[in-house]
Amino acid sequence: MSVIAQIERAGLLGRGGAAFRTANKWRAVAERSRGNAVIVVNGAEGEPRSMKDRFVMTQRTELVLDGAFVAARELRANRVVLYIGERHAAARDAMLRAVQGRPERERRLVSVALAPARYVAGAEAAAIHFIDEGIATPVNMPPYPVERGVGGAPTLVQNVETLARVALLARGLPAGGTLITLAGAVASPGVLEVDSETTIGEALAGAGGMSEAPRAILVGGYFGRWMETQDAVAIGLAHGNGLGCGVIGVLPASRCPVCEVAGIMRYLASESSAQCGPCFFGLRALADTCTQIANDVSKPEDLSRLHRWANDVRGRGACKHPDGAAIFLSSALDVFARDFANHRHTHALSRTA
Amino acid sequence: MSDSILWYTTRGAGAVTLILLSSVVVLGILGTQRVQSRSWPRFLTTGLHSNLALMTLVFLALHIVTAVVDPFTNLGWAAAFIPFDSYYRTFWLGLGVISFELLLAIIVTSLLRGFIGHRSWRAIHWLTYAVWPIGLVHGMGTGTDTWSAWMLGITCACVAAVALAVVLRISSGAQDPLAVPRAAFRGAVDRREPR
Repeated sequence: MSVIAQIERAGLLGRGGAAFRTANKWRAVAERSRGNAVIVVNGAEGEPRSMKDRFVMTQRTELVLDGAFVAARELRANRVVLYIGERHAAARDAMLRAVQGRPERERRLVSVALAPARYVAGAEAAAIHFIDEGIATPVNMPPYPVERGVGGAPTLVQNVETLARVALLARGLPAGGTLITLAGAVASPGVLEVDSETTIGEALAGAGGMSEAPRAILVGGYFGRWMETQDAVAIGLAHGNGLGCGVIGVLPASRCPVCEVAGIMRYLASESSAQCGPCFFGLRALADTCTQIANDVSKPEDLSRLHRWANDVRGRGACKHPDGAAIFLSSALDVFARDFANHRHTHALSRTA
Repeated sequence: MSDSILWYTTRGAGAVTLILLSSVVVLGILGTQRVQSRSWPRFLTTGLHSNLALMTLVFLALHIVTAVVDPFTNLGWAAAFIPFDSYYRTFWLGLGVISFELLLAIIVTSLLRGFIGHRSWRAIHWLTYAVWPIGLVHGMGTGTDTWSAWMLGITCACVAAVALAVVLRISSGAQDPLAVPRAAFRGAVDRREPR
């Protein structure tokens, strides 16, 4: 059975956050490749709380490279680019060391590009723009990378964990399982491997439980969704469940949700690449309004603006940055509705992380 | 009676199209300016601009369809798409057809901006400065209502609004409101070797 058929049968979904069907991506590149395809091994990991990509690059280095070279063989690629976050020095060193141990026919395919430490740098289109031109801003799609990516060649941009899963499949092993990063009010935060049957509650228990009484849980990192704790703990950790990049963040009850959300919105607004007006001005307006509420008393008109504008910015950018931020904010307004409606500047809770 | 309903609809929809198109032009121009407040962030101006443009197209379609199907004018479909093809007020109607087709091109390329790229989109978008005056002259030339007080009022208001916006645009010089933040971000993610 071909590797693509194995990937298909396992139902593998991409682990970079978008949960795209891996088999479809591979097939699209395979159809177009004339021995010129490019494999981009995506270890940019720009998601602030995520650590699982660095974990897999340092601890399962050979699996990542195996997956990359399986892809190179299967998709008839003549180039493998390791796209690794410029601040992830340990991961980079581990990967480079492992490349030295590979046979010459594999080694000569490899080059390295160090991804700028910005949120959007991990997006497929930004990776390709960076490898081609040295600037990690997302560009318009289509053409999609599988059609015209690095140097105009069909390109597979694949998250490092996904490639490691492919390597397991190619060895005839089950690829099931998911790497998650537990963050926030957790007794022992960090990376955990779980199977898809495990619930978020069980995963948290496995990490020594929560370190404080929780207020809510953020599922899927900064492009994810806030959920009430009792709803979140029941969720199974299977991809396609809105797990995104796999970050599970526990907000303790001692922290102010409004101040926390305002801080993250300011961060996401500052990470807009300012190429599309609605993203740059829209996210800034949303972040400013959140901050107004956080710094002052909540006003009903501020709240209704947030609700309205969060819908208005969706689908208005060349990439999905405004959509991710809007989904995050809408879920916050939902779960923290009462906190947003009754916020006082001088609350007893500590301000932010 | 049903015939005159069509005829009145044509004229009414034409007037509404002029109002909407002028608003779209004004909003498009204001979108490049620093027009914003706490309750009206700039991205809403562009959103309203594109939504109103789609609405303009709806009223323009109504204007054209009712004119064509009206047995009184007996225009035929060819006259709606081929400039200067109608026996009826050939020149003024032809201007309307040109204006309509340019507008259609502008709207279609805006919807497909991701496919055609920013540069070509922008080049075609400049045609707006032809669409609006041609459409205006079409209305005044063909217009059954041109010299009625209410239509004259609408025309003057539209001309004044667009003229004001254009003056504002010219006096503020060429400026891209995103230029500074975009350059800053690009600089932060630029790892090209210094030459």
